[in-house]
Amino acid sequence: MSQVIAAKQEVKKITYDDSLARWFVFASVGWGIVAMLIGVIAALQLAFFKANVYPMFNFGRLRPLHTNAAIFAFVGNMMFAGVYYSTQRLVKARIASSKLGRIHFWGWQAIIVAAAVSLPLGFTQGKEYAELEWPIDIAIAAVWVVFAVNFFWTLYKRHEKQLYVAVWFYIATIVTVAVLHIVNSLAIPVTWFKSYSVYGGAQDALVQWWYGHNAVAFFLTTPILGIMYYFVPKAAERPVYSYRLSIIHFWALVFMYIWAGPHHLLNTALPDWAQTLGMIFSVALIAPSWGGMLNGLFTIRGAWDKVRTDPVLKFFVAGLTFYGMATFEGPLLSIKSVSALAHYTDWIVGHVHAGALGWNGFLAAGMFYWMVPRLFGTTLYSKRAAEWHFWIGTIGILLYVVSMWVSGITQGLMLRAIDAKGALMHPSFMATLDAIKPMYWMRLIGGLMYFTGMCMMAWNLVKTARQGKAVDGTTEVVVDVVEVEEKVPARKIVFGWPVITSAVCILVLGGIALTDGIGAGAFIILAACIAFGAVFIGWTLKDDSKPGWHSMVEGRTMIFTVLTVIAVLIGGVAEIIPAIVIPNSGAGTKALAGKETHPYRALELEGRDVYLKEGCYNCHSQMIRPFRHETLRYGDLSTLNDSKFDHPFQWGSKRTGPDLSRLGGKYPNLWHYQHMLDPRSVSTGSNMPNYDHLAKASIDWSNTESKLRAMRAVGVPYTPQQVQSAVADAKSQAAEVTADLAQNGAKVSPDSELVALIAYLQRLGKNAPPPAPAKTQTVSMH
Amino acid sequence: MSAHNTKDQKDKVVHVYDGIEECDNALPRWWLWIFFGTITFGAAYWLSAEAFKTTASPRAAYQAEMDLVAAEEAQKMKALGSVTNESLAALAKDGKSLEDGKTVFATTCAPCHAATGGGGIGPNLTDEFWMHGGAPTKIYGTIKDGVVAKGMPAWGGSLGEERVRLVSAYVLTLKNTKAPGGKAPQGEPEL
Repeated sequence: MSQVIAAKQEVKKITYDDSLARWFVFASVGWGIVAMLIGVIAALQLAFFKANVYPMFNFGRLRPLHTNAAIFAFVGNMMFAGVYYSTQRLVKARIASSKLGRIHFWGWQAIIVAAAVSLPLGFTQGKEYAELEWPIDIAIAAVWVVFAVNFFWTLYKRHEKQLYVAVWFYIATIVTVAVLHIVNSLAIPVTWFKSYSVYGGAQDALVQWWYGHNAVAFFLTTPILGIMYYFVPKAAERPVYSYRLSIIHFWALVFMYIWAGPHHLLNTALPDWAQTLGMIFSVALIAPSWGGMLNGLFTIRGAWDKVRTDPVLKFFVAGLTFYGMATFEGPLLSIKSVSALAHYTDWIVGHVHAGALGWNGFLAAGMFYWMVPRLFGTTLYSKRAAEWHFWIGTIGILLYVVSMWVSGITQGLMLRAIDAKGALMHPSFMATLDAIKPMYWMRLIGGLMYFTGMCMMAWNLVKTARQGKAVDGTTEVVVDVVEVEEKVPARKIVFGWPVITSAVCILVLGGIALTDGIGAGAFIILAACIAFGAVFIGWTLKDDSKPGWHSMVEGRTMIFTVLTVIAVLIGGVAEIIPAIVIPNSGAGTKALAGKETHPYRALELEGRDVYLKEGCYNCHSQMIRPFRHETLRYGDLSTLNDSKFDHPFQWGSKRTGPDLSRLGGKYPNLWHYQHMLDPRSVSTGSNMPNYDHLAKASIDWSNTESKLRAMRAVGVPYTPQQVQSAVADAKSQAAEVTADLAQNGAKVSPDSELVALIAYLQRLGKNAPPPAPAKTQTVSMH
Repeated sequence: MSAHNTKDQKDKVVHVYDGIEECDNALPRWWLWIFFGTITFGAAYWLSAEAFKTTASPRAAYQAEMDLVAAEEAQKMKALGSVTNESLAALAKDGKSLEDGKTVFATTCAPCHAATGGGGIGPNLTDEFWMHGGAPTKIYGTIKDGVVAKGMPAWGGSLGEERVRLVSAYVLTLKNTKAPGGKAPQGEPEL
């Protein structure tokens, strides 16, 4: 608690810098249209393979562009607009540096342009939502730091002692995204455009989905909740429902979200303990997520009459409802047995679009329609167009989500169906694709409708801006000329009872890792007793005349930020550190580890890079889960060793085509050759694009040696001799494959990417040792 | 703006930020039930799945199912009878079985051996030459277990025992049909 010992007070007029908000709004709308247009094209490609017209714009390369543009360009710019606009007002201070704000704006747009160019060119790290290559990753980190500096500097200069809940969410976003991005992007560069993740196999899977899931949490959720807390009460002109609900759901959300990443890896080769943690924390996320929805909807409660006439509130109500739906569906999908059906299917695609289109897209629309007229000192150009946008968008989302539910559940059930005789009811994967094709068309219609609404909004906002004139908001504050003295020392807040209680509980719960069943039960009960005891004592000792602990934290940015960082880091540390320092940690991992693996031969590694570049992982998994229908269909269970040397891992997240873990040796080289040239020649009904261009593209052998050296640097046990003879070995293997193809009547250059890719595909699941270096080989295949 | 909430003590405003009023209403009871209920479920599930291992892990459940299936499979194999040249030849004379075998052939085998059996990526099945033996049980074995070195996949897993027998029977009927435009013979003539 601070004591005002101001000798003199003066009134100060503050003019906010709203130019940043204006720029970011229009950047968001522009990139949003691009992102959704690419989404529409990608949806068409899945329904109609001929829409893959040019290799650079094949589905495998467009899909990462679509996701990156939607997340980082559309929602990113929207978030920055909302953060700059609301933070200045909430803390009653102009942004600390308009110059840094400009660097942030242009830096971010430059990064987006770099992404839009590099992803179609095939420069990728091969990790979902983190595809951008290392120089761009460094630029992202730098621009993010600029944003963070400007933000915290503004807080430092604030005239509002207490931080409002929106600002808490912004703080959590800024620090967590920085940590996630840096840790997940660590890689060893090979060239300016190529690098390998320092993590491999299951470790990479764990780090990647810790990142991937929390990109959803801290890029698509927490900042938008902050924005919700500012713009919803503003638009509804109603008080926020509950301060204490915001405290509880904020801390519960930031603490629990981080643990939930492994729910993307249920039933895989990831050790059980990590899967179980991912599942239980995901289930426990329902209430913290719904806390945000409730605080929003209950705030609008009492303003329902306004919802009928105000498109802004319509977007907010629908957006919050989609948020509630998606955050109920997420925990449901995180239950191991539900994931068994839904994972790798379109159900997940539908789930993320309920969130992205419903929650992010509609919150963005509501915010833009509210903010743009105010940024230009005018009224919305066409309220009717905004109403139309709302209805067309809502129907679009419903068509999208419902078609993906039907598609996902249909395909999941068909793939798992086993008849009374113990055989797969649909042995052909293509039969399941045929069944869901109509749903792909329906999804396309839904997406097109949403896209149309987006374009209408762009037109409406431009018209609004045109009819007004840019104005910056102002406020007047009473400033204490003499410094305010902090009466309560920092350590009293840092070591307040909520912190001590939480720390003790977490330490006690951490003991579970070191003990058996009975011990675990005892620790859980002990932790629960401590928590309830502390809350009870805290409650009874509460003195309403003095400010509570939390309100003191809200007045101290530094302490608040540090506590947030700690809350966020606990889950990541608890899951990732054991997986990295104790490889294959956890019980029963010996069986999980499987047979010993050998590193890829140089040509196979080159082929693997072709696989990454073409984005094959967007449609194919490499993970056979422990289900009878999967082992019948694809072969033996995947083990940890299968992907041990995979930097990055390629377990995948979606099966538009079949799993490839055990593809090696299943078909002759000629089959692969024909399949790559025209997939439909050997797989009737396939929607895979033609990859005939790979026969013409040549491998650049000058990088092969560096690639093996980089792999060696991240821990793949290549001998120095293997590194040195990489090109020779690659060429000799390429000659073998080419000779085999020639013998069967297919002529292709041994230097082609196609040959390398075939060598890689024939290697999958084989784990063959490399040939002894000394003698010359005359082995045919394997 | 604050006219709405002054009448109700419940909606008392505790803070104001930039004109945004904040109340401090009680947490909805049902929300608290979900909050503590899901946390309790998490603790119970952890104890059951990880601490006491009473809930089987996905892999353990799979193993148990496969053990059960293995026993059933053995029973079914017994019921189907053993595979002999004669049993397959008998299937090849049964119209319904051939019809089913042909369906399997069209989806599974035709991509490499052509719809006529004349061959393409894989060898011609309509001549009298066989790479891995032309006897009914040999053909059955090739389909079921594959010849990985030669690029013939093992179909036993994904097709299942019965379909393998049916399609073997169908392949028997292709012998010597000399499909027009078929691939040049490979392998040894059948004696």
